[in-house]
Amino acid sequence: MKILLIEDESSLRESIITYFTDEGNICETAADYKSAIEKVNIYNYDCILLDLTLPGGDGMEILRAIKKINKKDGVLIISARHSLDDKLDGLNLGADDYLVKPFHLSELKARVTAIVRRKSYNGSNIITFNEIHIDTQAMSVKIGDNVLILTRKEYDLLVYFIANHSKVTTKSAIAEHLWGDEIDLSDHFDFIYTHIKNLRKKLVEAGCKDYIKSMYGVGYKFENV
Amino acid sequence: MKLSAKYNRVTLIASIIVFVFTGVIYYSVIHYILTDQLDRDLEIEEDEIVAYVQTNGKLPQAGSFKEQKVSYHLIDPERDFERRYFYNDYFNESAQKIEPGRSLISTVKVSGKLYSVTVTKSRVESEDLVRIIVLITLSVTILLLITLLLINRFILNNIWKPFYGILLQMKAFNLADKNDIRIESTKIDEFAELNTAVATMSLRVKQDYRELKSFTDNASHEMMTPLAVINSKLDTLIQTETFSDSQGELIEDIYVAVGKLSRLNQTLLMLAKIENNLIADQEMIPLDNLIRQKTRQFQELLQLHNINLRTDLAHKQINMNKHLADMLINNLLSNAIRHNYKDGQIFIQLNDSQLIVSNTGLDTALIADKVFERFYKNTASEGMGLGLAISNQICNLYHFKLNYAYQNSQHIFTVSFLEGELQSYSKFGV
Repeated sequence: MKILLIEDESSLRESIITYFTDEGNICETAADYKSAIEKVNIYNYDCILLDLTLPGGDGMEILRAIKKINKKDGVLIISARHSLDDKLDGLNLGADDYLVKPFHLSELKARVTAIVRRKSYNGSNIITFNEIHIDTQAMSVKIGDNVLILTRKEYDLLVYFIANHSKVTTKSAIAEHLWGDEIDLSDHFDFIYTHIKNLRKKLVEAGCKDYIKSMYGVGYKFENV
Repeated sequence: MKLSAKYNRVTLIASIIVFVFTGVIYYSVIHYILTDQLDRDLEIEEDEIVAYVQTNGKLPQAGSFKEQKVSYHLIDPERDFERRYFYNDYFNESAQKIEPGRSLISTVKVSGKLYSVTVTKSRVESEDLVRIIVLITLSVTILLLITLLLINRFILNNIWKPFYGILLQMKAFNLADKNDIRIESTKIDEFAELNTAVATMSLRVKQDYRELKSFTDNASHEMMTPLAVINSKLDTLIQTETFSDSQGELIEDIYVAVGKLSRLNQTLLMLAKIENNLIADQEMIPLDNLIRQKTRQFQELLQLHNINLRTDLAHKQINMNKHLADMLINNLLSNAIRHNYKDGQIFIQLNDSQLIVSNTGLDTALIADKVFERFYKNTASEGMGLGLAISNQICNLYHFKLNYAYQNSQHIFTVSFLEGELQSYSKFGV
């Protein structure tokens, strides 16, 4: 997929680019308002990651510009402004999602993947990873031809893992993804383990390879074996 | 005691004393003058009798005419006789009744014989005069007192009106409020000065407060970007290679700390937002549903500690911001879980007027005044000490009342909606 990252903080830009640039993703960047507007006007992207506070202008204006020229690019706002108004304004203006800084790169990846999936015309609602087929519309999972019954949390977890495959995802990132960041679970990461154990068991029993790898202390990795 | 009442009392007492005192003096002086006048008349009469005796060698005819009576008595010349004035009652023949009088008794010698002469004049007229004068004085006094009272009551109240106006505003003064203190127009210099002083003071205080707030706001904002950088760098770092177990633990600790820091920051920003009343977008929220949803969300945590959660939820709609309602329930619930022990209990009760969250926990009550203070926490607590502060702040925003009590080894937090709902109804004219 083709991504435009509009972000003025260079080290944050670097990390995001590194995380996204593999398996054929094309990442472009813009560090200020002017270059961002230029790129948005000239090229098409699958998803635009948009910071709201930029040198030279307000990120919200870029969003308006995108919508004005009827671009179908997905837009994900990443902002340190946790204000509800900004969130609502952004979503009302046609942004697809809103992520508050600081965030986990794995969360960003999962959200971008979801936006791109929703936006793409061809193929649509099916996520495929080797023998795993997920229909996001019906929220059903098949391993080969076997239907796999998962709980809501296990389903979310699987989709999250596949979006971040070959990456190490941390326990706190998983916890935040599954339970939201309003609940401070930092002392109780352990019960994530239960969910992962169950998911793993169900996958393997349905004839799936064991893709989930535990990285001690750090988190988990969903990886092709 | 009110100033006007105090002032009224003092002026009233002072004027009564002055009026009584001057009244007494006035009465005595008038009385003295009138008596003196009578005495002079009596003396003239005496002189006339003496002159008559000298020219005619006999006493004039005794008798009573008009307001005057003259009588003679033969007296013993050896006896000591003193000329004197005195008060007496006498029979007024023309009026055919007994009247108060003033008499002069004196002596006159007629052809060697000594006679006492008593001249009596009626006091009725002068008494009447004194009575009228006293009456007039009394009524003037009473009239004056009444006027004084009325002036004090109405004029003073009127004069003090701007004072009470400004007092009311000072009482209602709220740092976080948007509206400033209005200057009430007054022609009285002191009050005008007070008004401007209060208005400038409130402006200055608000300005300082705003600066402090925006400082917190900016500081928290500015911290978000470096936090985001740390987080993303960590995310990148863990992709690079496999770590040893101890390295993994170190990284996890950093994650946890960064997570706490950013949560703390976001909470502070939220608090500032609520305090500055920047939260709009109210909607009717079915609180019972929200609580059910939240308890589902907390399921795993409850199971982890084997906490038994009981609920008794009546249907209840409440008018507030969705996000804040979320946050309030979140905080109360996570608080009840966090400060519980293994195999503990939580009971959530919702009815039309109250939401009660009670939980088992520490054996001692928390300090009720401090529970809702920022960064107040029990030494054993791992939280930030902001959850209850923000809950309280949310309740304040909607004029709900958040209370803490410790009863039967249960920590009980109660949110009472009544006042807030009354206010919001009156606001919308329902």
